[in-house]
Amino acid sequence: MRDRIDFRLLGALLKKNRRENTSSFRKGNFDAVGFVMRLLLAGAFIAIFVIFFGKFVDMYLGIKLNNVSDAEERLYELLTLVYGAVLLAMILSGISQINQALFSADDMRVIAALPIGANTLYLSKIILIYLGQLVVACFTVLPVNLTVAAHYAVPTAYYPLTALACVVLPLMSVAISSILALPYHALKVFLKDKFLLNFIVITVLTALLLFLYAYVLEAVKELLLGDDMKYFFNEKVMTGIALCAKYLYPANLISNILLGRELLVSSLVIAGWFLACMAVSLLMIRMILTRSLQSRISGSPNFVKKVKPLAKSRLPFNALLRKEFLMIFRTPGYMFSYFAIAVVMPLLVYFCMSVGSSLAVKLIAVDSNLELAIFLTMLFGMLANMFCSTNISRDGMLFYSLKAMPLNYKQVIFSKVLLCMIVTAFSQLFSAALLAATSYITVANAAFLFVVGMMFGFAQICVATRADFNHPHFSSESDGEIKESGNTVSTVLVIGIVLSFALGGALLLTKMYFSLRGLSEAYAYLTYVITAGIAILSVAGSVTFLLVGLRDRFYRFSGGGLH
Amino acid sequence: MVNDEAPVREEIVSVDGLYKKYSKRADYAVEDVSFKVYAGEIVGILGHNGAGKSTTLKCLEGMLPFDKGAISICGHDIVKEPVKAKSNMGFVTDDHAVFVKMTGIQYIDFMADVYKVPQAIRQIRLDQLEKIFCLGDSIQNLISSYSHGMRQKICMMGSLVHSPKLWILDEPMTGLDPRTMRAVQDYMKYYASIGNAILFSSHALNTVAKICDRVVLIRKGKQVDDIVMSEFADRPDFDFEEYFLSNERQD
Repeated sequence: MRDRIDFRLLGALLKKNRRENTSSFRKGNFDAVGFVMRLLLAGAFIAIFVIFFGKFVDMYLGIKLNNVSDAEERLYELLTLVYGAVLLAMILSGISQINQALFSADDMRVIAALPIGANTLYLSKIILIYLGQLVVACFTVLPVNLTVAAHYAVPTAYYPLTALACVVLPLMSVAISSILALPYHALKVFLKDKFLLNFIVITVLTALLLFLYAYVLEAVKELLLGDDMKYFFNEKVMTGIALCAKYLYPANLISNILLGRELLVSSLVIAGWFLACMAVSLLMIRMILTRSLQSRISGSPNFVKKVKPLAKSRLPFNALLRKEFLMIFRTPGYMFSYFAIAVVMPLLVYFCMSVGSSLAVKLIAVDSNLELAIFLTMLFGMLANMFCSTNISRDGMLFYSLKAMPLNYKQVIFSKVLLCMIVTAFSQLFSAALLAATSYITVANAAFLFVVGMMFGFAQICVATRADFNHPHFSSESDGEIKESGNTVSTVLVIGIVLSFALGGALLLTKMYFSLRGLSEAYAYLTYVITAGIAILSVAGSVTFLLVGLRDRFYRFSGGGLH
Repeated sequence: MVNDEAPVREEIVSVDGLYKKYSKRADYAVEDVSFKVYAGEIVGILGHNGAGKSTTLKCLEGMLPFDKGAISICGHDIVKEPVKAKSNMGFVTDDHAVFVKMTGIQYIDFMADVYKVPQAIRQIRLDQLEKIFCLGDSIQNLISSYSHGMRQKICMMGSLVHSPKLWILDEPMTGLDPRTMRAVQDYMKYYASIGNAILFSSHALNTVAKICDRVVLIRKGKQVDDIVMSEFADRPDFDFEEYFLSNERQD
């Protein structure tokens, strides 16, 4: 049976998608703080990237291979590697987006019953994903290409071809993602009920990404310290890069086009590649989409490990604690955002410490490992604990059910706080232990770091929980999962970042001030006093914020959309 | 000697002059609603969509605060002694809100823990409830995989695990298959007959007419009638549906 694409229906679906996607910008839904934060962060990131990448381009184009300098060949390699990385990121994101759009999005439950062909439906989703990736391509390819143009005499055609690259890269990414999306879906279905395996896989992948991040950090450090990175790019490494660029399809084809090499062949291969991928993916979609949607609607057998009929009885507080744990552990999004991040947080602190420690010594000639450790622990601990800003909202309408149960308000709220504290204790303990084990700080300082880390963590958890309690934002998804951060998350994030930088900066400046006067030994206690003082104040302030009027607020709670 | 005094009935629910509005500027969603429910009674709350049935029940369950009036469950004020009042009731919400990341059995366990059901009788209760609701092996599955009707069943099982004196149900028959609907109706009658009280809202007028002892009619937030169903028992021509609709038409 043929499944023609109905362009009228396609238009209607795109219109629906556009309306849904712009709904978050409407008055009342718009998270202005978060939007501005994201813009500022993106702007700052691009500015920093352009500065460092520019330096890197100068250095890299000057590298000689077999004592021969070939700037155009180096540029080809550089662009190929960058496009390869961008393409890889876009493919991974594309796979996830296609899966979300086809198999998780709520609208599919309705659309599945409408007289819309699988290919039309698929195309409407793909076009939307493509448009999103087009924006990402503009934010990545343009800074790279324009930085290159500022450091190397590129041909005039390079500029319009850069625009073409922005258009073509997401096309290729979407085409490849389309083919990989279905196997990924099968893997997800396989892992769906295997919560522990899921947790291990996600955590290991995150840790691997962190190792990659550490590698990049190391390179940045070398660049900052002014060491000659050419030593890193020796003959062997350069031969490997050249070989990699030669076979890194299809990223190298775009580099070819940009540099005017094999223009016709590269264009034809890209077009052929795209058409072949799309044809295969449309065929696969036509074969399985309808069946897959039907199985989603009918529900699938979902047996978990057989358990004893009833477990041993627990105290209500412990039952709430367990409920909270299960809710997070069995929701992949939550599990990654909190548990996996909390597990890899010590690695994050360690990697940044390894870079920051030597940077501090070289740039400001001060050994400030403890101060840096406090700053990093506070910053990354805060990022891991951001999740607590949804402590109430995660329950959704079930929060009202909890209200109707014979539970004290303290049991409901404190069970949430305690679970977060257990997670915080884990990440803070391993973080401090790792820094002590790698001799960045002494064992005594590690103990101090753990204690103040717990105090700051506790303060943040209390503030985040109460802030969310005051302004809950319940999900409208059928499973109640929160997929978008609200104003509370952005506000707690801003406060956390400002406080981390303020305390970290204050500690480093104090240390510098006394070190430059040769008094660092005499005034070493200041670090402890300042940190402990602010930690105590934070705890006192946040506990007050959490508890004042909590009982009354619990009784009067009527937010989140219940009418 | 003949005892002329009527037997003292155990009062389970007392709602006295209940007022509730959702915001200061809004009209009252519930206005001056008063009724009592006694042990052994099944009381239905009827009204059109948005009449205030669910709001009344949510105030009763302690989910929503109210502006004026008093509510007590088994003699415990819902505001002053919320934990004691709530210990005596089980509830099923209209949206069948349930922890979908738990398996059915874990949810029952959770509810038993919260209501402090002794270990010794949990399994007996579960077996009793299983006979009525027949979830079978599905009780070991994640609730997220349940159909609408199955979620309704697990909500009901969770609400009964502690054998509450008061069972509150908001639209209980929605989504149930005919066999379970009948089983639930029979169980409601049985449950009331052993000295408990049931308060429920519904649009299923046949069900209400069949099982209720009394019906509280609410229109636009106001209580307009409190009907004792036995008064119509000797009138075979009485059509409860027509009675309800004519009452609504008065608006």
